[in-house]
Amino acid sequence: MKNPRDIIKRPIVTERTSDLMALKKYAFEVDMRANKTEIKQAIEQIFGVKVTNVNTMRMPAKPKRYGRYSGYTSEWKKAIVSLSADSKELEFFEPVTP
Amino acid sequence: MKATWEKIEKNVGVLEVEVDEAQVASALDKAFKKVVARVSVPGFRKGKVPRQLFEKRFGVESLYQDAIDIILPEAYVQAVEEAGIEPVDRPEVDIEQFAKGQPLKFKAKVTVKPEVQLGEYKGIEVEAQDSEVTDEEVAEELNRQQQRHAELATKEEGAAEKGDIAVIDFEGFVDGEAFQGGKAEKYSLELGSGSFIPGFEEQVVGMEKGQEKEVNVTFPEDYHADELKGKAALFKVKLHDIKSKVLPELDDEFAKDVSEFDTLEEYKQDIKSRLSERKQESAKAALETAVVEKAAANAEVDIPQAMIETEVDQMLREFERRIRSQGMTLDLYYQFSGQNEDALKEQMRADAEKRVRNNLVLEAIAKAENIEASDADVDAELQKIADSMNRPVAEIRAAVEGGGNLEGLKQDVVIRKTVEFLTENSVAGSGAEAGKPKKPRATKAKEAKEDKE
Repeated sequence: MKNPRDIIKRPIVTERTSDLMALKKYAFEVDMRANKTEIKQAIEQIFGVKVTNVNTMRMPAKPKRYGRYSGYTSEWKKAIVSLSADSKELEFFEPVTP
Repeated sequence: MKATWEKIEKNVGVLEVEVDEAQVASALDKAFKKVVARVSVPGFRKGKVPRQLFEKRFGVESLYQDAIDIILPEAYVQAVEEAGIEPVDRPEVDIEQFAKGQPLKFKAKVTVKPEVQLGEYKGIEVEAQDSEVTDEEVAEELNRQQQRHAELATKEEGAAEKGDIAVIDFEGFVDGEAFQGGKAEKYSLELGSGSFIPGFEEQVVGMEKGQEKEVNVTFPEDYHADELKGKAALFKVKLHDIKSKVLPELDDEFAKDVSEFDTLEEYKQDIKSRLSERKQESAKAALETAVVEKAAANAEVDIPQAMIETEVDQMLREFERRIRSQGMTLDLYYQFSGQNEDALKEQMRADAEKRVRNNLVLEAIAKAENIEASDADVDAELQKIADSMNRPVAEIRAAVEGGGNLEGLKQDVVIRKTVEFLTENSVAGSGAEAGKPKKPRATKAKEAKEDKE
């Protein structure tokens, strides 16, 4: 787990998180095994910014069924990373859809 | 907002317009608001996507078309106003530059109202129409009234004459057989009215009361019933009664019966004055048409094709409305007349050109002579409409203003005043009479109304 890009999986861009961005808080899906310190270091390394705080939460697995088969979605970890006030804004690369 | 106008042909020019960035930006905002409601991005409800994200995802360019649609009509109208031109057709717009944060530049190729080179329009010579009423005309009118009030008297003796009404039984045979509709009893036939097939009435003339006769006739080729066309027929006719028309005596009694006057002399006077009024009215109308036409002929106008086409379309719509009120449709009309839209339009073209020309010339004259519709004129016009519709003036005013037609109304008034001006200034016209019109000519008003649309 040395590579920061193995820790940070993807940014989460939704209505709620785009509101948080105004407060310099960014949401990511991160590896289940990563802890706050690792996440902090990974973000600082990837984007070159200063992280002031990291909140993490484990998102529950949800029951799903497909026909007669029932199962669960994967559990995952979400991290909300607060950046220092003087850090630049992060830009995410979005897949271009028509 | 900058607009420069450059003429390239007689009635065609290019309007170069530059709209500043601020307006472009506001148009983009509006376009975004419109578009955002329709796009769906995962993680967002419809219409909640932030502008930044939207632009990153779809590109600013995706807003351009909508923004142009928003900004162009506005900018075009403003530019037209700024350049002080009067376009008569849709412009051909060519966008040269449009991007976020840059001014919008576009060129519009516009056909404008042609300038009118007025020729002679004052002192136009027109033949004044005679509006005198002769005694013969009065007599004719009296005779018509006599005919209308004629009474029928039974003729006891003598033969039926032309103009009499014969009461007859008849039965018709073709090839010895009776046919449908060929039989009637006690039918009142006016001899000489031509209501029966040719030859029939003539043979009844000369019959006496109670007499029976066989009448030989041939059905005309264009008779409406197919099986009878061109067939020879035999009618057995019995004459019951002969009635002849008795014309009332032309005396005071007659005058009392047919009019509110007590004496024949008064009645005659009334007829005379009514006839002369009618004649004056039509003389005035003819005079006005002649004057306008001559003024138009003297002027030089280069009418753009687009204006004529618009007018033709207008006329076609009017025509459609007219035949629709008679329960027809254009398609049906084409079927019956064997025409199509193009042929019909072709027919209308000459007329349309004349109307456009007349209107343009009248407008130009109005401008040259500073003829304007004052508030008083407008009030008078509204009053007139109100009177004819039996409504209070205020209501009419509100309706006209609400419909944005006040300008059109003014235009009507101006056109009418111009026509009056022309007739007043015409030579050899019966100036004193024609110069003080009581009523506007309906057609003129109508033409003007169409013009403003």
